[in-house]
Amino acid sequence: MDIRFLAYIQWDYNCLYIKIEMEVNGTLIWYYTICKREAWLIGHRIVPDQKDNRIMIGRHIHKYFFSREKAKEVLIDNTIKVDLVKGRCLIVEIKKSSKFIDSTRWQLLFYLYYLKHKKGVVMEGEISIPDEKKRVLVRLSEESEKEIERMIGEIEELLKQEKPPKPEWIKYCKVCGYKEMCWV
Amino acid sequence: MSKVLYVFQSGRLKRKDNSLILITKEGENKSIPVATVSDINIFGEIVINKRLLEFLTKNEICLHFFNRKGWYVGSYYPRRSLNSGLITLKQAEAYLDNKKRVYLAKKFIEGAYRNILKNLEYHYRQTGNEEIGNSIKNINQSFSKVFETNDIPTLMSIEGDIRKEYYSTFGLFLKQEGFEIERREKRPPSNPMNALISFGNSLLYASVLSEIYRTYLDPRIGYLHQTNQRSFSLNLDIAEVFKPVIVDRTIFQIINRKEININDFHEIGDGVFMKESGNKKFIQRYEEKMQSVIKHKKLGNVSYRRLIRLECYKLYKFFTEDEEYNPFVVEW
Ligand code: SF4
Repeated sequence: MDIRFLAYIQWDYNCLYIKIEMEVNGTLIWYYTICKREAWLIGHRIVPDQKDNRIMIGRHIHKYFFSREKAKEVLIDNTIKVDLVKGRCLIVEIKKSSKFIDSTRWQLLFYLYYLKHKKGVVMEGEISIPDEKKRVLVRLSEESEKEIERMIGEIEELLKQEKPPKPEWIKYCKVCGYKEMCWV
Repeated sequence: MSKVLYVFQSGRLKRKDNSLILITKEGENKSIPVATVSDINIFGEIVINKRLLEFLTKNEICLHFFNRKGWYVGSYYPRRSLNSGLITLKQAEAYLDNKKRVYLAKKFIEGAYRNILKNLEYHYRQTGNEEIGNSIKNINQSFSKVFETNDIPTLMSIEGDIRKEYYSTFGLFLKQEGFEIERREKRPPSNPMNALISFGNSLLYASVLSEIYRTYLDPRIGYLHQTNQRSFSLNLDIAEVFKPVIVDRTIFQIINRKEININDFHEIGDGVFMKESGNKKFIQRYEEKMQSVIKHKKLGNVSYRRLIRLECYKLYKFFTEDEEYNPFVVEW
């Protein structure tokens, strides 16, 4: 299964342009830390009903914030916003709530890892939860880099499997778009 | 919740800015909020243009056409944004693999059979009529033949036998005269009950097609109903399971409450068909049924319309995960 991930970081005037192409992407990392079955389904391009409300809400939030905030911000993978602040490179990920903050953290760490190793750009990350007026700084460490490498390997293995892992009921299932596909 | 729009009037259906309007023959303008519409079922004489079709495609709305007699004529099935190579491949593979194909065909018959039995057992308890009891025995006997064959046409004819027996009991528990049938006739229906069944089934075929549209399944690949003979066949397969619960129960209800009577039917040519008045009354009850909910163990309240979608998801699991497929069977 060839999953291409394209991300663009554009730096409009002093233009920095980065294109990421690889098997595993940030979205997959996010889902992988929540539910492996979900990661498999996403990885095989099986998506839930697009009219599902939760997904609509998510889209709306992104649209809203992206149109409101100032320039000098770019999208990666349609969900990650790159904010270029005076001499500092910051990736900001906006979330509705801090519920799955750990998964978001791994997603961000993945981007930071990728940028560092494949592009030689060292950045910092920030998780922003406007509704809760919360900002969390995320930095790469030796440990987290190792963990990211391990995850990438595991996801690649997971996607090679012919069938998804069987569903296991977790708290997230309740709000998961795949709920009906898993629990019918 | 999005709804099905039924258009009985004649006129022109148009795109206007980001919405739809119906300009009736009488010159009335009716605007239709797109966000709340999932499908449009057209009974009137409607003029449409390409611009409208483009708009429907963008909004993923199916258009189903019915003729003056209430027959399903065809659909505008917009190009879909959903595509999963994996599921399409697996769905086709299950058709080509005779073992899997026969398995599914049998499962669809099993679903129909079990739901038919639920209806008959209920009416048997209510009336105590021994003839219904006998029919149940006959139906059980027909169904047992399913296990003796792996031939699709034979399976189809077993299915036909079950339905024939089943329909012959309707007169035994309906609380209104004039709706008995000796046998099921389709083209053309020769009495009111046949007309009702045909109309109800047509509606259901369209509804199931619309639900399939919102999944990765390809409606052209059916298992019990032959692929190639018509453009869509998977919806016919899935509809088998739901006819007894959705269509037939709506029929019993509407007749026993005397909401429909013989005057709602008329003869056209050599057949009997429902008048528009009858169609409308039936549609109202049919939609109520589709929206009514049952409790699902894990998923909470689920409407009948949603159950049809869930049936598609079960098929995903059969195709991609080798899970057994167990058709929906109503609990009471
Ligand atoms: S419903 Fe539960 S098991 Fe299924 S994909 Fe979502 S989180 Fe995973």
